[in-house]
This record gives sequence, structure tokens and C-alpha cells, in this order.
Amino acid sequence: MNSPSTDRRILLVEDEIFVVWLLEDMLTDLGCAIVGPASSVNQALAMIDVEAIDAAVLDVNLNGQMSYPIADALAARGVPFVFSTGYDKDTLLDRYRTFPVLQKPIQRSELSDTLAKLLTPKQSNVEAAIATIAEMLP
Amino acid sequence: MPSEQNKSREQKAAESEVESFRKELGPFVVAAETTRMAMVFTDAKEANHPLIFANDSFLSLAGYGRDEVLGQSFDFLMERPADPEARLKVDAAFAGSSENEFEICFRRKDGGMFWTAVFISPILDKMGDLVQHFVSFVDLSKHKEEEDRLRFLLGELNHRTQNTLATVQAIAVQTLRRAANKEVVDAFEGRILALSKAHSLLGRKHWETVSLRDVIDQILQPFGLDDRRVIRFSVKGDDVRLQPKAALTLAMVFHELATNAAKHGALSNEAAGKIDIAWQAEPTTQSDRIRLRWQESGGPTVKPPGRKGFGSRLIEGGLAQDLDGEVRLDYDPLGVVCQIIMPVPLEVGR
Repeated sequence: MNSPSTDRRILLVEDEIFVVWLLEDMLTDLGCAIVGPASSVNQALAMIDVEAIDAAVLDVNLNGQMSYPIADALAARGVPFVFSTGYDKDTLLDRYRTFPVLQKPIQRSELSDTLAKLLTPKQSNVEAAIATIAEMLP
Repeated sequence: MPSEQNKSREQKAAESEVESFRKELGPFVVAAETTRMAMVFTDAKEANHPLIFANDSFLSLAGYGRDEVLGQSFDFLMERPADPEARLKVDAAFAGSSENEFEICFRRKDGGMFWTAVFISPILDKMGDLVQHFVSFVDLSKHKEEEDRLRFLLGELNHRTQNTLATVQAIAVQTLRRAANKEVVDAFEGRILALSKAHSLLGRKHWETVSLRDVIDQILQPFGLDDRRVIRFSVKGDDVRLQPKAALTLAMVFHELATNAAKHGALSNEAAGKIDIAWQAEPTTQSDRIRLRWQESGGPTVKPPGRKGFGSRLIEGGLAQDLDGEVRLDYDPLGVVCQIIMPVPLEVGR
């Protein structure tokens, strides 16, 4: 099966082991190669420094630590990403309000649709949003 | 603006007013001075309702010294500029409106704001003439903090429920993937996701009521409700609000109906199938109810299922038992029809 996700390298940031397994399976089913998983901000930042990444799935709350520094680092490199959270979309930091969010529990079809959009830049406004954030960063 | 001389004359007048007030009401003034309830008396003979008495509780609430507030107009206490709506309420209460209890924002000496419940009551003299107003203040800061905290806790609880359901989904899929076939795993996952969508919707509405339309939208969205290329659904009905329990049960019912339609019914073929969902609110003398009809058409010829599965048990049993409703599920060869009549308290005057 060939889709926009096939053979793309997806960074998975998630701290709950069962959800990690589930997402690993879902991503593998979509033909993605997984980078990580990372379960903390530092781990993820270290991976971003050395790994080639096409897109990322970011849990917003990593055991009490917010994952915004990871989002900032990805935005600075122009890497598209989607948040995953059990919180409401409107609890996200202002500058990330317009970003795609997967509501937990995550639905297979939503994950695959969102990734397809992220990886087909012309079809989404994520690129523009990332560029805006990258400009705001110090 | 009054000159310095005028002002001091006004203040003197106010002070003598306070003095005579003190003499007339003797023991009551002592009680008023020492009670924990913040209170002031204002002079009703002046248009701007100057303060002629303020007790210690009021002074500590507002942060002023007594001589700083006596003689000042009532407006002096309000936030600046005062909220026009609050101004209208205050003016109306001083003018004798029966709506003399409300919440407004006041200003402390240090500029900080505080919310209080205000009660304004007229005081008449022996002749029945309005001479003063009594105004009490209940500090709502604690109450507002509590409210914020409760809202925060409820948000946290909603979030944890979503995360727990995500974990249940993950554990179930991991546990079942080798033991059960894909269809079973998908069915289970679909039900957990439907439950979580209903929870999430209720969470956003603080577990009060949600609209039937929103429940349908949430549940049918993964089945192509928003698909602009092929119109599969028609959803029409009155604005009906559902209690949380009714919303959860109906969400699961719609999920089962839609799943069945996707497997065997109107959503199972590529092109022609369609689902019409329509309902009306029916106020009756005993209780209000809704009558809802789910009708499929254009799918393959319908055959009744061999035995009752989770879906039909939930649809028939869940609605009847949980919600005291009546359900008829017909496997009409032309398309499944599900008719639901269930009691729903209708909100009057909406």
C-alpha cells in the first residue's frame, strides 16, 4: 500500500506505555518508520538533534511536563507535527491553538488522515503555521 | 468640582448626619459596628448616596480608613469606570427596585477589585419617609476561587477519563490482537471511542445537558457525516437537550446503528445508500418526549440477523431499561428502520 505515510519517519512522543504500543502498531500499519518513542522533553530534543524526522506525534503532557519545547524545536526545523491529548483543544498554548490535535483516545482513521495531511504540505496550512511559529521563536 | 471649602462643609454635614444617626440608633450602631458582615448606611436625601456609616468589617474589606469613606458617594466604592450594567442595578436598587440583591465588582483602596454580593434595603423614618439605605456586602472572592478550582478539577477529571479510556483502548487492542480476529478488535475499539466521544462532549458542557444534534454529529462524524463528496446522511430535528445519561446511551445506540449500517446496511456499498435521521419534540400532559426515526435506504437487501448481538441488545435493552424509552427495530428489506420514543424533559421558553 502506498500512502503519503509510507516509509516516512515519524517521531513518537508519549509517556504512557500502553498508548505507545498502540500508536506504534497504528503507525507501523500505516507503513511509517518510528523514531523513538521518547517519553520526556529531553529525550525527544536529543532525538530531534540527531535523527531525520518527517513528522511527529506529540503527547501534550509528559508526566507533568508540557511538550511545547519539543514543538518549538520541531517548528524551528520546519518539521510538521500533531498534538495528542486528552485535554480540550482550547487548553493548548495560544501560539499552538491552530495546530492539528488528535483527541485521545486516538482513532486510527483520524491518525492516518492527519498524518497524510501533514506529509502532503500543499494540502494543509500547517506549513504556514509552522513558519509563523518559527519566526516567533528566539 | 466643589472647592476645598465646599467640600469640607459637605463633610461636616455628613459628619453631623453620622452623629445624629449614632444617637438615634444607639445599641444597633454598636451591633452594626462589630458584626462580621460588611455594611454601610447611605444618606437617601442626597442624589449620590453618600456614606454616613461604615462598619469595621466593611473598612477591612475595602481597605479604607473610616474618615476616607464617610461623606463619599456610593460610586466611590465601585470599580472605575463602573460597569454600566452594575451602575443600572445600583441605581435601580436605590430607587426602590425589588431587585436589590446582586453581585458586583468593587474597588479596594489599593486599586484591587473584589466581587461581592450586595443587598440594598431602604430605611424609613417614623413618618414613613425614606431617609437612608442599608447596604450589606458579602465578599465572594473565596467563592469565586472555589468556583475556579472546581472548574479546574472537573477539567482535570474529564482529561483523566479520556486518558483512562485511551489506556483501556490500548490494553484491549494489545491483549486481543493475537487472540481475536480483527473484526472483534475493531468493534471493541469502536465502542470505546464512541463512549469517549460522548464523554468528551459532556465534559465540554460541564456534565449538564448537551444537544441531541451534537451527540449525533460527534458519533456519525467517523462514518462520513461531514463528507462533502457523497451525502450519506440527512439529520433534521428540533433543538432538544439531553441529560448526560440519555446522551451517553443514545451515543452508543447511534454508534451501533451506524456500525451495522457500515457492515451490512446503507453505508456498506460505495454509492447509493443513505440514512435519514429525523425527530420531533412532543410535549404531552404527563411528560415531554421525543420521537426519533433512523431510516436507511439504498443499501443491499436487508436480512434480519441470525441472533441478537451486542448492538441490537444495546439498542432495544439499553433504551428501554436505562431511559424508559420504547424502541422498534425493523429489518425492513429496503432498509433498517429504528424508531425511538423516549421521555426527555423539554426546556420551556428556550
